[in-house]
Amino acid sequence: MKTIAVQGVSKEFLFTRQRLESRNIRDLIHWRHQKPASAAPTFLALDEINFEAHAGEVIGILGRNGAGKSTLLKVLSRILRPTKGRIELNGRVGSLLEVGSGFHPELTGRENVFLNAAILGMTKREIYGKLDQIVDFAGITTHLDEPVKTYSSGMYLRLAFAVAAHIEPEILLIDEVLAVGDAEFQKKSMKRIEEIGTQRQTVLFVSHNMQAIMRLCSRALLLDRGKVVASGPVPDVVAAYLQIDGGHRGERHYPDGPYAPGSHVARLRGIRVRSCEGQTLSTVSIGEKFGIEMQFEVMSAGSTLYPTLSLYNEWGTEVFLSTDVTTEWHGRPRPAGWYTVTAWVPPNLLREGLLNVTAAIYSFQPYFIHFKESDVVSFQTVESSDGINARGNFIGYIGGVVRPLLDWTVHYEAIRTDSRAPRE
Amino acid sequence: MIIESSGISLVERVKEYRRYGTLFLFLAIRDIRLRYRQTFLGLLWSVLQPLVPMVIFTLVFSRLLRPETDGVPYYLFALGGLTPWMFFANSINAAGATFVQNANLLNKVYFPRAIMPAAAIAAYVLDWLIATIILSIFLTRAGYSPSLVWLCLPLIIVFAAIVAVGVGVAVASLSAVYRDVKHALPFVVQVWMYATPVVYPIKLVSKRLQWVLAMNPMTGVVEATRACLFGLGVDWPLLSISMASALLILAAATALFHKVEADLAERV
Repeated sequence: MKTIAVQGVSKEFLFTRQRLESRNIRDLIHWRHQKPASAAPTFLALDEINFEAHAGEVIGILGRNGAGKSTLLKVLSRILRPTKGRIELNGRVGSLLEVGSGFHPELTGRENVFLNAAILGMTKREIYGKLDQIVDFAGITTHLDEPVKTYSSGMYLRLAFAVAAHIEPEILLIDEVLAVGDAEFQKKSMKRIEEIGTQRQTVLFVSHNMQAIMRLCSRALLLDRGKVVASGPVPDVVAAYLQIDGGHRGERHYPDGPYAPGSHVARLRGIRVRSCEGQTLSTVSIGEKFGIEMQFEVMSAGSTLYPTLSLYNEWGTEVFLSTDVTTEWHGRPRPAGWYTVTAWVPPNLLREGLLNVTAAIYSFQPYFIHFKESDVVSFQTVESSDGINARGNFIGYIGGVVRPLLDWTVHYEAIRTDSRAPRE
Repeated sequence: MIIESSGISLVERVKEYRRYGTLFLFLAIRDIRLRYRQTFLGLLWSVLQPLVPMVIFTLVFSRLLRPETDGVPYYLFALGGLTPWMFFANSINAAGATFVQNANLLNKVYFPRAIMPAAAIAAYVLDWLIATIILSIFLTRAGYSPSLVWLCLPLIIVFAAIVAVGVGVAVASLSAVYRDVKHALPFVVQVWMYATPVVYPIKLVSKRLQWVLAMNPMTGVVEATRACLFGLGVDWPLLSISMASALLILAAATALFHKVEADLAERV
């Protein structure tokens, strides 16, 4: 049975802050003098979206930040209205766009369960029928009649997710809610979504997490700048997702010597991100070793040059800076010629995200910057879905600038049952 | 269900509001539970709210102005007007703030939006009920015997609630667009009270001009409440004007809400 049919749906936002913020009385007075709406710059968050979904399908929605994934879910859940187009929904829609919306700290756990379930569209009878299951799922039975302001953040989130996970609409929209709770609770949540998928419900699932998408979804859509650019079996769409480079590129060359960045001594002629096999990459799997290759030309002999490469993450934080200390050329004057240097990045060091490369050549004594090119190339890192990685079983967001796979050791001691044990 | 840029069809809208009846109920219960939680006096506040102005107005009016109140003691006369008025004033204050206060929720979850102001108003029915019980105790102590006509009071509160929903939804919608509304509302409510015969009898205005006063639907609410409590005659022509004007306000508020609702999540 067809549950969702989206036909030519667009959503336009006014770019000016005016529409998004409220007007004040001065604007009211100047209302007549306002420019016609068509002159205001707009932003097309969704651009002629078409797709269909059927009962029992779990569809993953992929795309970079700003691709329109969240807007699509908001339009489907009717939080936002489409500017154009037509959406047909057969069945009730439930959305899990953010768990715990509508929780009130002064209310008890039980009161919040009731209110939150009603906000999510459950009727009184359904809520009474599910109460035990919800409380059981969240594992907070003993605190149920205390105000949620006394809960730990973990308990709070577990209860919120438990409510959300038990709405049983025909169409369920989920936006990155798995980043909740500890690993065990996450497993439970994943299992719950899998169950929903087998219950003849339609699930649309937005996530940046390839593992979760691959595991849960039967089909996927790829959004890019508001358009559906790929749709079909999950592995194909994931592959397409990894290929869109969103304007960044893993390679740059400077064929015209005089225009290449550099000094009269050394010039940058090319840089790329490469695999061990020599392929140029714009997307790198965290679990694999890769290289950043820089090619430069030395025009006059005798200078000691320090080629350096640094990586910056999407927040502008410098992840590392590296120079060629391990080569025989380090700290030695160089003869004229072409040099190709490669910095090899070991597997399981970076975290997933976007990385920008800054390439530079310095001299010391006297200090001189021959060139320093920021963001000369950039690439995306993705989590590999197999093999050992630093993520382990964890599905949600992991912070940190790097995510190295560290060696851990464990020293374990069993609880002793002698006199030092606490009295019963 | 078909969604287009104009929203969903009227039939779907009606079905949807019916389906979310549980939410309406639970939101009203939440409001009641939270209103006086962590207060020392609790529900007593709903009694004090009309009683305090009653004392003040009794001191001022009955001593200085001695208005003609059809033989009803002034303090009872004032309380009879203040009880429905307090319901209305509290209701529109609470309902008017719902959209802006719940901006985050409106951006995360969909539910038929007008439920929020409506539930905020429903939560004040309890306060009205308590105040009315106190009022009836005052009445019996003053020698009025409980009468079957008092059973009309629930009908009058329905009338008052219709007025409150109209005004409350309009205020909530307007505040989503113009934040000025929040600052203007207290003055408007104050002026509105004096434009309503709450603490003075409608007879203070000449008979020929009373219909102007009746265009304010709260005039009808207050007059009907008093007629019911003190067993006075109902001025049906005036009451009809008030009722018609209440329906007009409700229709205008619905139209305004419908316009704002389209991009409410982006505005709040």
